[in-house]
Amino acid sequence: MLSLARRAQAGTERAMTPTSDGGLSPLDYHVLLAIAEGPMHGYAVRDAVERESEGALSPRAGSLYRVIARLTSTGFVAETGEPDEHGPHPGRTRRYYALTEEGRKVLADEARRLEGAAALALERLGAGS
Amino acid sequence: MTLLLRFLLRTYPRSFRTRFGPELVGQAEDDVARAFERGPVAGAWCALATCIDLVWSGLAERWRPVWRREGNVTSDDEMGVGTMMGQWIGDLRQAGRSLRKSPGFAFAAVATLALALGANAALFGVVDAVLLRPLPYEDSDRLVHIAASAPGSDLPDEFGVPLEFFLHYRDQATQLEDLATFNSFTATLRAGDRVERLRQSMPSRSLFSTLGVEPILGRLPVEGEDGTVALLSHELWTTWFGADPAVIGRSHYFVNGPKEIIGVMGPDFRFPVDGVAAWIPDEHAAADVPAPGRFGDFNLVGRLTDGADHASLTRELDALADRLPELWGGPPSYTRIIERHRPVVRSLRDRLLGDVTGPLWILMASVTVVLLIACANVAGLFTVRAETRGRDLAVRRAIGAGRGDLIRSQLAEAAVVAGLAGAGALALARLGLPAFRSVAPDGLPRVADVGLSPTTVLFVLGASAFAALACGLGPAVRSSAPDLDRLKDGARGSTRRRWWGRDGLVVAQTALALVLLVGSGLLLRSFQQLHSVDPGYDTEEILTFQFAPDEEHLVDGPTWARFHLDFMDRLRAMPGVEQVGIVENVPLDEGVASTRIVTERSGPDEGDAAPRIGYTFAGGDYFRAMGIEVLQGRGFVDDDAVLPGNVVVSRGAADLLWPDEDPVGRRIRTTELEEWHTVVGVVDDVHQYDFRREAEPTVYFPLIGPTPRSWALTSPGYVVRGPGAESLAPAIREAVREVAPSAPMYRVYTMRGLVDRSMIDLSFTMLILAVAAGLALTLGVIGLYGVLSYVVTQRTREIGVRMALGAEAGRVRRMVVGQGARVVALGIVLGLAVALLAVRALSSMLYGITQWDPWTFAGTALAMAAIGLTASYVPARRASRVDPIESMRGG
Repeated sequence: MLSLARRAQAGTERAMTPTSDGGLSPLDYHVLLAIAEGPMHGYAVRDAVERESEGALSPRAGSLYRVIARLTSTGFVAETGEPDEHGPHPGRTRRYYALTEEGRKVLADEARRLEGAAALALERLGAGS
Repeated sequence: MTLLLRFLLRTYPRSFRTRFGPELVGQAEDDVARAFERGPVAGAWCALATCIDLVWSGLAERWRPVWRREGNVTSDDEMGVGTMMGQWIGDLRQAGRSLRKSPGFAFAAVATLALALGANAALFGVVDAVLLRPLPYEDSDRLVHIAASAPGSDLPDEFGVPLEFFLHYRDQATQLEDLATFNSFTATLRAGDRVERLRQSMPSRSLFSTLGVEPILGRLPVEGEDGTVALLSHELWTTWFGADPAVIGRSHYFVNGPKEIIGVMGPDFRFPVDGVAAWIPDEHAAADVPAPGRFGDFNLVGRLTDGADHASLTRELDALADRLPELWGGPPSYTRIIERHRPVVRSLRDRLLGDVTGPLWILMASVTVVLLIACANVAGLFTVRAETRGRDLAVRRAIGAGRGDLIRSQLAEAAVVAGLAGAGALALARLGLPAFRSVAPDGLPRVADVGLSPTTVLFVLGASAFAALACGLGPAVRSSAPDLDRLKDGARGSTRRRWWGRDGLVVAQTALALVLLVGSGLLLRSFQQLHSVDPGYDTEEILTFQFAPDEEHLVDGPTWARFHLDFMDRLRAMPGVEQVGIVENVPLDEGVASTRIVTERSGPDEGDAAPRIGYTFAGGDYFRAMGIEVLQGRGFVDDDAVLPGNVVVSRGAADLLWPDEDPVGRRIRTTELEEWHTVVGVVDDVHQYDFRREAEPTVYFPLIGPTPRSWALTSPGYVVRGPGAESLAPAIREAVREVAPSAPMYRVYTMRGLVDRSMIDLSFTMLILAVAAGLALTLGVIGLYGVLSYVVTQRTREIGVRMALGAEAGRVRRMVVGQGARVVALGIVLGLAVALLAVRALSSMLYGITQWDPWTFAGTALAMAAIGLTASYVPARRASRVDPIESMRGG
């Protein structure tokens, strides 16, 4: 239990410094999470983020592409070839993004950290109630 | 929308745009389109949010880039803000070193800009303190001044209201939260053995709540204390009472008797004008209205309720005033005035600052013009500098420096020059503003606040930044694309386009300088015209002063008159004194009251239709001492002072009352009194207020005034004539102390001083405009000279060839002067065109000439042409002395 708490605390600190040291912000996390489903273009990423965060995150184009740029620069995401099926605007050139191995690992770490933090929260709330 | 999004995309660095731009714009368009499908409001909101997000993210990417692709090549467009700052700092250092190597250029550029920026800083300091800062009262935009007008009546265009207006408005107006009366006058103030005549005010008690002010020491007056307590100004408290808090509770003599000091106001409270030393709150009730219709008595200041505005208040007050005759009665003339009456509601700020707003903005505009000319001059210097360094720039460009690098390095020089000039300007303003305070016209409001404020420092920073761009950007951009042919050995010379650039600057300078010259020329001509006005009295060798004896034995008119007659005898006995007279209102110092005058021929009911004429009281040798010509009959003699019944009228008054008839021996009286007065003489009309207004018709009553109690209300002015009269003041002060030890001698002026004071608004504006025009002209001439000198230097080889082929020196001179003349002529034509429009702003200050006075326009244009040709001649002469062999050898 103690180790869980420590992990949660460490994860929180990382999450609070989301970009400069390679940590993940909630938006970073959700973008990675969306792309984990398979290669996606920006528009689909935005829709997935909005849906999977239950509307809590709805990034506008400028912010979204800055996150994609950052994740691409850090090597968590890479541009990939266009999948067979087309998006809603077949005529428009779109770039597709996929998770790299490193991105997959970071996402898994972050998911475990969140899982630990959630468990800790439930435990405390359960003890308190 | 696409275009806008693409434009906003430029906030991102180029590499980001190249990689993500099309996708980003496409997605943003889709977002907005989808939002518009939900409705126009949702669409508009989404478009706005998308644009803001785009700009914000773009700037964030520049500040802290997250997109780094391998092998990124940084360029200006690609750099983060930190890197850019680093480069700028390096360029500024390099610029400093480079300027140190050219001290002549640096000094000329910095001094020119510092002078112009200094003038702007000083005048902005004045404009900021006087015009821009809000009045120091809570919600001051809700404060209004209320006066009256009665179009078509013989009352002035705008005048104060009678007491019954105040009482009625105060009780009935629903759009006024608070209403107060105010005034200011000079009266005696006595504390211990210190006695002086100082400006004081007797406002209604509600003044303090209306303005929302509290004393910094003590308290405000309460009901029942009216007329018995006083509040001190901060200045009086510190200068007379050593800022002693124990002054509260003490009694001293204010205005008309002892008052208890209950408070001290803050240093910012200077209402209604600067220099008020004390406020003696007074209250008014219906019982204080002996008869309605004493127009002109009360100035009103009110506080609007929330939601009320000037127009709605005007409508309400208009309706309220209509009921006054019904409530207060009054003669038919009162009803007729009320029928014509229109309230005049304006912001208190306009009332207090209205007169100075126009002239101050004109002066601010004139120094701005000087700054533009200075910028044009320094831009010319930078252009020449860039051209002489053309080869260096071409080398830098050839070895890979970007165009941005070249622009930045030259802009850095302009920034250093402007920065140094800005610092110099602040120093100049720091020295100049206290000097301004000491020479500013008396009536300039809030002049005590004039100083180097933080706003002024910010203004100088902004103006310096503007100057840096104005001086440096043009030359930097032009020279950043250097002609690579210059790298060829021996290549030199300027392109025609560059000549045009420089000539254009001189044309603009000439035109702007001419506009200022025309403006100051018009004011100078007005000043001359005013000085040539015959005021109806002499203005040299006359000293005037006042004192109000408060001796116990002065109990009635005759004893009071005898006291002054004796004192006049005493003054006449002084060495150097030729004549001594006395008058209630010295011309140019104070105005006169007016009343309706009836003659024996007026019918019993004609009082309301009788002409309203100014009146004053005079005695001794007043007319001779002032040099006012006696046209018929005689002036006053001493018996007239103690045995009233005679009057002297001015020519204008005689023409009004008895057109084409001999007035001497005829009788008049005022509509308020029964006593008749016989006209014993006619004198010339005089200019009572200033030289701009027509001479006023006046009735001169004898010394003790038209009513039995007039004498007690007066503080007459003495007029002493004699060679070197101004030097008599100390001896007269001593004589006053001997006859009335407790009465201060005040308002000591020479008539010359009063004449100068009456014209100070014009002379002050004229002086500053003339200084601005002088600066503009000097800078303009330097600019023209500099350009022609440079052209001659550039063409030395060509001129040498011409002369070697037989061209005469005279022809060479004409060629250079001709080039200067063309530029100056174009500048003059442009300047005259601009001046024709710009002088409209001066029209209210002009006297005796039209705003388009042809002599001024022609004279200044000719002067400009002569000065321009002279400035062209010097380089032309140098050109004609070129040695052909030397010029070609030196080539």
